[in-house]
Amino acid sequence: MFELVHITINSAAQANVFGLANITISYFDIILAYLVAIIVSILIALILRVPLLPGKPMRYSFDVSAVYPTPIIAIGIFSLFLVLNYTFMYNGLVLAVIIGVCSGLFVKYLFNYIFPSPIEGDDGDE
Amino acid sequence: MGMNEIIGIIFATVICWLNFVIVDTYFGLPEQPGVKGARIIGESIKKRNGDIAGGFFQGNILCSPDASAGTLMASIGYLLLGIPGGILAAFLVFIGNRLCADPGYAGTTGALTATILIFIFSFIGLTPEMFIVGMVIAILTIQGIDQVRASIILGKIADKFNRHAKE
Repeated sequence: MFELVHITINSAAQANVFGLANITISYFDIILAYLVAIIVSILIALILRVPLLPGKPMRYSFDVSAVYPTPIIAIGIFSLFLVLNYTFMYNGLVLAVIIGVCSGLFVKYLFNYIFPSPIEGDDGDE
Repeated sequence: MGMNEIIGIIFATVICWLNFVIVDTYFGLPEQPGVKGARIIGESIKKRNGDIAGGFFQGNILCSPDASAGTLMASIGYLLLGIPGGILAAFLVFIGNRLCADPGYAGTTGALTATILIFIFSFIGLTPEMFIVGMVIAILTIQGIDQVRASIILGKIADKFNRHAKE
């Protein structure tokens, strides 16, 4: 059943289309770089006075905060570089720090401009 | 190699179903409709003797990417790029959520938990393809076969999590 999928994906992978199995740094380095990206992004957000947690009620809050979505953006962008095997110096650590700083800055200064919260009473309910 | 495909798909369906229903219910999809469309779907299901909380759940699933979309995207990302692909899927689901007037907690959490689950179950031979098929079957059981009966089951689960709609 999956034969066609496997042939397609494997031939694409061999041609490095998807960057599959393209990552040349070790598992330990990958995990370390992810942790560094998460921690640096949270720290930068906190230094820029982004609140640690979203406002209440938490499940419906559109506020940006240090724990959400800052690390999601950081590890998402870092994954993109990782699968393209562009890990830069020190096994990706420098890149992780740069991306962490950038996502902290993005959340503080650009996020609400690019993704504004929905207008109350317009399309949203309650 | 690996497990029998049919048995694997059944396993993956159950795992995907539990993953997205638990994450969505926890983040309050049955509690209130995020947009007008979700309210209309919920009220239509209630009119057909369904459960309003289950109806809001189904409406919210339809109107913005939630944990079900997150699970599907994470499976596809995992198939293409491994664990980084699953994380990338969470990021993309988050952007999709924000474009759909949804704060996105359910979608991103669902994608990340799905990535972890696919990694864990890869050790017993479940492949990401099985999770893609499993997720499509799982969403079919919620939206496709019998919406009214599905809404009653979802309403009971919402009660257990103390997330039933107040109205």
